[in-house]
Amino acid sequence: MELTRFENEMLDGKHGAAKQRAMQGLVQLGRAFGAPRMIEIGYAHIHAGMALYLEDVELMEDLADLGAAMAVPASVNIANADTVNWQQTGAPEKLVRLQQRATSAHHKMGSACTYTCTPYWAGHWPTWNTHMTSIESTVTVFCNSVLGAKSNRDGFFAVYAGMTGRYPLFGYHVDANRRGTQLFKVDTTLSGTTDYSCLGFHVGRIVGEGVPVFEGFASRPNLDELDALGAALATSGGVALFIVPGVTPPFADVVQAFGGAMVPEAIVVRRPDVDAIYDYFCTGTSGAFDIVHVGCPHASFEEMKHYAELLRDQRVKPGVEFWITTSRAVRTMAEEAGLIRVLDAAGAKVISDTCPISCHFARTTSPDPKLGVVPPPIRTVVVDSAKQAKYVRDMIRCDTLLTGTQEAVLTALTGQFVSRRA
Amino acid sequence: MTTREIRARGIVEGTAAGPALIGDEAISFLGDVDIGTGQIVGDLPSLKNASVRGTVLIFPYTRGSAGAWRFLYQLFKHGNHPVALITDTLPDPSVVQGAILANIPILCEPAETLKGLVANGARVAVEVKGDAGVIRIETP
Repeated sequence: MELTRFENEMLDGKHGAAKQRAMQGLVQLGRAFGAPRMIEIGYAHIHAGMALYLEDVELMEDLADLGAAMAVPASVNIANADTVNWQQTGAPEKLVRLQQRATSAHHKMGSACTYTCTPYWAGHWPTWNTHMTSIESTVTVFCNSVLGAKSNRDGFFAVYAGMTGRYPLFGYHVDANRRGTQLFKVDTTLSGTTDYSCLGFHVGRIVGEGVPVFEGFASRPNLDELDALGAALATSGGVALFIVPGVTPPFADVVQAFGGAMVPEAIVVRRPDVDAIYDYFCTGTSGAFDIVHVGCPHASFEEMKHYAELLRDQRVKPGVEFWITTSRAVRTMAEEAGLIRVLDAAGAKVISDTCPISCHFARTTSPDPKLGVVPPPIRTVVVDSAKQAKYVRDMIRCDTLLTGTQEAVLTALTGQFVSRRA
Repeated sequence: MTTREIRARGIVEGTAAGPALIGDEAISFLGDVDIGTGQIVGDLPSLKNASVRGTVLIFPYTRGSAGAWRFLYQLFKHGNHPVALITDTLPDPSVVQGAILANIPILCEPAETLKGLVANGARVAVEVKGDAGVIRIETP
């Protein structure tokens, strides 16, 4: 792998132990994937340090102590507890205190401590052709497909890229790999983000790690719908990039989306395909559920407005736990706009920094026993996102009831599950 | 006792040795392996009830999840990790990153098909330097 003088200096330790460790990792990664050289990145979305995993917060503290500092703008991924309003989630205090230590480490390293899976709603909006890196696949797919930035689906090394401003040139950083592999014709009218989520989950199963190209939308999907589509594609498949010609830069039409190569015959998606995903994630009995959740991926300001409209002057049925999850930045904006007041008055819980599958509900984690984490007995969660549904099933290991956003709110208000299916 | 040497592509540097554990299915470290015990909990018929702890884990390829690195690293943190991974095709970037963090060598694309050459439990040693990898299989 060919390195510049500065990159070699970092590797040799001339710019400190932290950059050296990061560069060693990145060079090994680059060699594994046949990268000819490094590229300069403009943005990194990095690991939070997760209190539910053994010595994982310490991983970030060690880097901060080693002198790590972000060389590029950096945002921080979702955490294992709401580090501010944690009491309303029932999280053990020791877990929260450990999670708060990660905040200090991030402040020391100069990363913006966003604790969210949707940093773009919090102002981190990389532009066309910006090379970047992300630990969160929802961020990868949104930035690639909606903004035209260039990112792989990364793991921990997003932080190494942030520390050095470098990443090996391979995968979706190479234009030749940013091409459609399969064409999908949407032959049904979609309404609401959950429909897009179900479309994404269906198509992700078919394309695997490919690049789906979409045509046939009745109108241009809005930003929240694109977000829902991408998050689900990245969940059921290994999708890093989808292309909606006319939306995804720089692809103006279907021919361009396939790089001038032959456009393959379209796979048609009809209403029953979308409905089948709703059905797949409705395993619980509709009379009984423990939590109703909306805000996966973390809600945008527009979505917070939508929830407030639906809940204004209404009241969540006593005994029903209703969670709205968003980032702390959007929460602040919603607070200033008077939305949180409306949601509070309705009896909804607005939670930031985490979500049901990321908090102490998860059973796949292995926290330090001293933290006193005992997952509560949850049997069924009502959700409006196929991504959340998949991981509720895998990580909380319980039943799900998937429905639309409006129907989920109605479920919380009435205490009776309201299906999206006719 | 004879030792058979097979070359492979080195992905993550290091040396390790342990009993072979051979899987026929793709593995996702997020979901298929319990970090607290090393037990296979996913639906992988060829590895039913097996533990990856201390093994040289031989399997076709990794199933994608961007969170895989964290689970491989957690296996290491709990002392339940495989000591080396050998795959047919290049694993996901996330798995490679977890293995580098945990100092677990990875080799892929072995020069000969390992199936038939190595049995479950046979002692296997691996060595990776740069992109050169060697697999040594001991047969009694």
